Amino acid sequence: MTETSEAAVLRGKRILIAKPGLDGHDVGAKVIALALRDAGAEVIYTGLRKTPDYIARIAVDEDVDAVGLSVLSGSHRDLVKQTRASLEAIEAGDIPIFLGGTIPAEDWPDLYALGVQRIYTSEMPLADVIASIAETLK
Amino acid sequence: MTAVTGKQRRSMARALSRAADASVAEVLASARGSMGVCRWIGVTGPPGAGKSSLIAALARHRLGRDGNIAILAVDPTSPVSGGAILGDRIRMEDLAHNPRVYIRSLASRTSHDGLADNLPDILEIVENAGFAEAILETVGVGQVEYAVRHVVDTTLLVLMPGAGDQIQAMKSGILETADIFVVNKADQPGARQLAVVLASVLKLKASDGQGTGDGWLPPIVSTSVQDPASVAALAEAIDRHQAWLAGRQDVGKRLEKRRAQHVESLVVRRVAEVLDQLPVELLHAPLASLYEAVVGRLTESAPSSGVAREPKERTILSR
Repeated sequence: MTETSEAAVLRGKRILIAKPGLDGHDVGAKVIALALRDAGAEVIYTGLRKTPDYIARIAVDEDVDAVGLSVLSGSHRDLVKQTRASLEAIEAGDIPIFLGGTIPAEDWPDLYALGVQRIYTSEMPLADVIASIAETLK
Repeated sequence: MTAVTGKQRRSMARALSRAADASVAEVLASARGSMGVCRWIGVTGPPGAGKSSLIAALARHRLGRDGNIAILAVDPTSPVSGGAILGDRIRMEDLAHNPRVYIRSLASRTSHDGLADNLPDILEIVENAGFAEAILETVGVGQVEYAVRHVVDTTLLVLMPGAGDQIQAMKSGILETADIFVVNKADQPGARQLAVVLASVLKLKASDGQGTGDGWLPPIVSTSVQDPASVAALAEAIDRHQAWLAGRQDVGKRLEKRRAQHVESLVVRRVAEVLDQLPVELLHAPLASLYEAVVGRLTESAPSSGVAREPKERTILSR
């Protein structure tokens, strides 16, 4: 065994990190992408300002195990709803959605009801985020 | 078939994952065959040469004529974590909206030749899905990437201005194996000079009778993705090469090359598996005994049926 293999909790997983909507900040998305890679995942990053249809299409073509949406614009509710609808429209509603960004706690119940698997904010330690994703995708 | 629709896309995407994940034992147990007729274009070259953007421009041009196109882009797997950032498709963004295009990112996994594990199986799935043409982008990290020519029909080497030193370094590597040389970013300073240096190196090789050794004289095409005429010229050079191929080489020969590459990649992976399972004490034995032990294990034991991604970097070197 290598010394690193225990850290590779996401080995064998493919994850799409996507930036829907209009906010132009992707530092958080990139930090998460690198952390996922370091945990052994194969990460596809979409770049900024992608439409929900586009994200859903890539999720299918790349056969990912999960879609991570990074939203800092405040329109997380609409973007989650639309992305979920776009996935369902191409019969990929089973692909889990993670949400990260500035997401006020009072919105969480609605977002879970819309089908978000887990919500992560910038205050959470990166290691906890990775562990939580790995646990969910087990 | 022109467009690949919803359900088909997902089942193809999943089939590609299964093929990519297959262990050596699983590959050997599966009986696959290609029924499709698909022209493969391989694109290699150093990082930053603009391979992904050029592929997007080329695909856009060729879609005007052909029904559909598949693009496979390989990015490197981290030898430490086994993870990867697959970012080539960011440069192909507008293409991904087109239902006649399928883009798939692949991680190199245990392959060190610029390709990805189980690539021949992956290519066959694309062929059987009915794509008329497909483009394969290699990792693009070094001059060892001539493996690509064994799995595609036409190999492009993409270089950029300022790459004169790279040519010096590549002289005896991929320069001998590319079918078409592309001076990309031709709108930047130094592009002409690069084309001149390339031409002189190639001329030298031609006069030595080295060429690609089969009578094809590789053209040098200067391209800029902002200049549609230059992309059209590249597309035309590819057509010329494929017409030339059709005139002299049957499909059987390509399949032979691909099979040889396939079995080689499986043996290399199997060796890594054997090394991984070797008792540490053996590593202190004389080299000849160690060699005997490895070869012995290769022939007597069956490939393990574990998941392909597991043993990855757990070779002798990482102990």
